[in-house]
Amino acid sequence: MNYHVPDFDIQMDDEDEYPIHHSKKPFTQQDDEIMELLWQNGQVVMQSQNHRQFRKPLAPATTTTASRVIPEHREIRSTDADNYMNQHLFMQEDEMASWLFDSMNEVEDPPFNRHDFSSETIFHSSAGSAGQKHGGGVIQAQATVRESEFVRQSRPAVVAASRPPIHPARKPEMVVNRTHNFTHFTNTNQSNTRSEPGASSSSMIAAGRESTVVDSCDTPIMTAKTYAASRLSETVRSATAETGCVSVSTTGKAATTTLDMTVTSSPGCSSGSAEPVHREPELDRKRKGREPEESEFQSEDVDFECREEKKQHRGSTSAKRSRAAEVHNLSERKRRDRINEKMKALQELIPRCNKSDKASMLDEAIEYLKSLQLQVQMMSMGCGMVPMMFPGIQQFMPAMGMGMGMGLGMEMGMGMNRPVMPFPNMLPNSPLQTAATVAGPFGPRFAMPPFHVPHVPAAAPDSSRMQAENQSDNHLNSLGALPPDQSRIPNPNFADPYQQYLGPHQVQQLMQAMNQQNVNRPGTSGSQENPEKH
Amino acid sequence: MSSRRSRSRQTSSSRNITDDQIHDLVSKLQQLLPEIRNRSSDKVSASRVLQETCNYIRNLNREVDDLSERLSELLATTDTAQAAIIRNLLMQ
Repeated sequence: MNYHVPDFDIQMDDEDEYPIHHSKKPFTQQDDEIMELLWQNGQVVMQSQNHRQFRKPLAPATTTTASRVIPEHREIRSTDADNYMNQHLFMQEDEMASWLFDSMNEVEDPPFNRHDFSSETIFHSSAGSAGQKHGGGVIQAQATVRESEFVRQSRPAVVAASRPPIHPARKPEMVVNRTHNFTHFTNTNQSNTRSEPGASSSSMIAAGRESTVVDSCDTPIMTAKTYAASRLSETVRSATAETGCVSVSTTGKAATTTLDMTVTSSPGCSSGSAEPVHREPELDRKRKGREPEESEFQSEDVDFECREEKKQHRGSTSAKRSRAAEVHNLSERKRRDRINEKMKALQELIPRCNKSDKASMLDEAIEYLKSLQLQVQMMSMGCGMVPMMFPGIQQFMPAMGMGMGMGLGMEMGMGMNRPVMPFPNMLPNSPLQTAATVAGPFGPRFAMPPFHVPHVPAAAPDSSRMQAENQSDNHLNSLGALPPDQSRIPNPNFADPYQQYLGPHQVQQLMQAMNQQNVNRPGTSGSQENPEKH
Repeated sequence: MSSRRSRSRQTSSSRNITDDQIHDLVSKLQQLLPEIRNRSSDKVSASRVLQETCNYIRNLNREVDDLSERLSELLATTDTAQAAIIRNLLMQ
C-alpha cells in the first residue's frame, strides 16, 4: 500500500497542472467499458434499492465486478489517467466525506446496532455511488450531482473508491464503541480525507483501498477490513474489521436480512454482469481465510468480543491454575505413595518390625542398619581374623579362658567352632559342599599358621583389626564360653543392642548350624564334641 | 476453601512434628548410607533415602550372607588345621 503513495503524490502534482474536466478525453475506451459496467450497475442499483431483500445471491457477484472494475481504473491511472483519477478522487472524496458524515449521523442513532449500522453505511455508500436513484440526504444529493457530471466513467471508480469510505464511515461507530482505540485511527483517516482539498489524500486512500480491493477482490467491507488490517494491524481496528468480515461472509451465504441489504445494496451495481458469479466461492474462501487473521488481531482488541475472549482466557488461566494445583496434588500424592511404598519395603527388610509408625519404623531401620553395618564389618574382620586368631587367641587367651577353668585347647576348639554359628544364622542352609573350592586357599594357610600372622595385619588396618579383634573376642568369649543352650542368657559384652535383639533368633540358627555341621562332618563334630565333654 | 485451608493447617501443624522427626530420622539414615552420605542432605528426597536404605540393607544382608558362608567354610576347613592349632596352643 505504501508504494502507491508516491504515485499519488505525482498525481497530486499533475492535478495542479490539469483542470478537472480534461480528464474525460483520454479515457474514451475505458469509459466505454466502464459505461457498460456502470449501466449494469445502475440497473443493479435500481434493483437493489427496490428489491434489497431479494438480492442475496448477487452480493458476491457485485464484489467481483467491483474488483474487475478496479483494475481498469488502475490501468487508467497508470498510463495517463492521473487527471481523471484526480477528478474522480475529488468527487470520491466528497462522497467519502458525505459517507463519513452519514455514518456519523447514523452512529449517533441509538437504535442501530453494529451490524445494522454497518449495513446501513454500506447501503448508503453503495447508494451514493450508485447515484441519483437513491438520493437520500443532502450530501448524497451532492454526490449525485457529482456523479451526474461523470456519470459513466466515474461510477466504477466511485464504486471502487467509494467502497473504502465505508471503512472510515464505520470508524465513527468504532469510536463510539471503543473510544480510545479507534479515535486516532478515525482521526487520521478523516484528516487524510478531509484535510487536503486536493485529490492526493483521497487518492492515496483510494489507492490503498484499490490495491487492497484488487488483491482481495472483496466487497467494500472486506476492503475496509483488509485496508484496516494492513494499516492498523497493531491497532484494535481488526476487531471491527473482523465483525464486518464476518457479517459479509454470512451475508454472502445469505444470512441476516440487514446484512443482506448491505451486500445487495453495495454490490448491486455489478449484478448485471454474469461473469463475477463464478468467482463467488473463491471470494468466500478468501474471506474465510481472512477471518482467522482477523481473529489474531482481535486478541489485541479491547472490543467486547475481545473481552469475551479475555474472559475465556481468564477462565482458561484459572482452569490452568486449578489444573496445575491438581497436578501438584497428584505429584505430592505420588511422592507420598512412593515414600510409603519404600517404607513398606523397608519394613519387610527389617526383621520383626511391627511398628506401623513411620518414625519408629525409621528408628528401627536406622538401628538395624547400624547393626548390619557392624555385623558386616565384624564378619569381614572375622574372615581375616580366623587365620589371625591363632596368634591373637594366644594373646587374649588368658582373658578368654578366665572363667572357663578348662584346657585352653578345648576352649580353642570351642572358640573355633562357635563363632561360626552366629554367622551362618544369616545363611541357614550354607552350602558346605562348595567348601573345598572356597576354602582351597585357606587350607594350606592353616597348615602353616606361623606364616599367616604377618599377612593378616598387612591386609587389614590396625584400628579396624583391633576393633574386629575385640568384637570377635567378645564373640568368642561369649559364644565360646557358653554352651549352646546357655547362650540365651543375654550377653553383657554386646555393645550393640541390636545383637541382643537378634539373640534368641541366633540361638535357633545356632542349633540348626550345629546340627548341620554334625551331619555333614560327623568326624570333626565328634572330635569337637569330645573336647567339649572334657 | 478457607475452612479447608485452616483445617489443612491444623492437620499440618500436628503432622509437622512427626514430619520433623521423620526428617531428622531420614537425615540420620542418610548418614548411614555410603551411597548418599556425602551429598547435601537438602537435595536428597526422602523417598530416595528410603530407597537407598532398602538397597543398602539388601546389600548388607547379601554381604553378611557371603561373609558368613565364607567364615563357615573357612572354619570348616580348619579341621585339618585344628590339630596344628591345638598343638600350637598346647605347646605354649
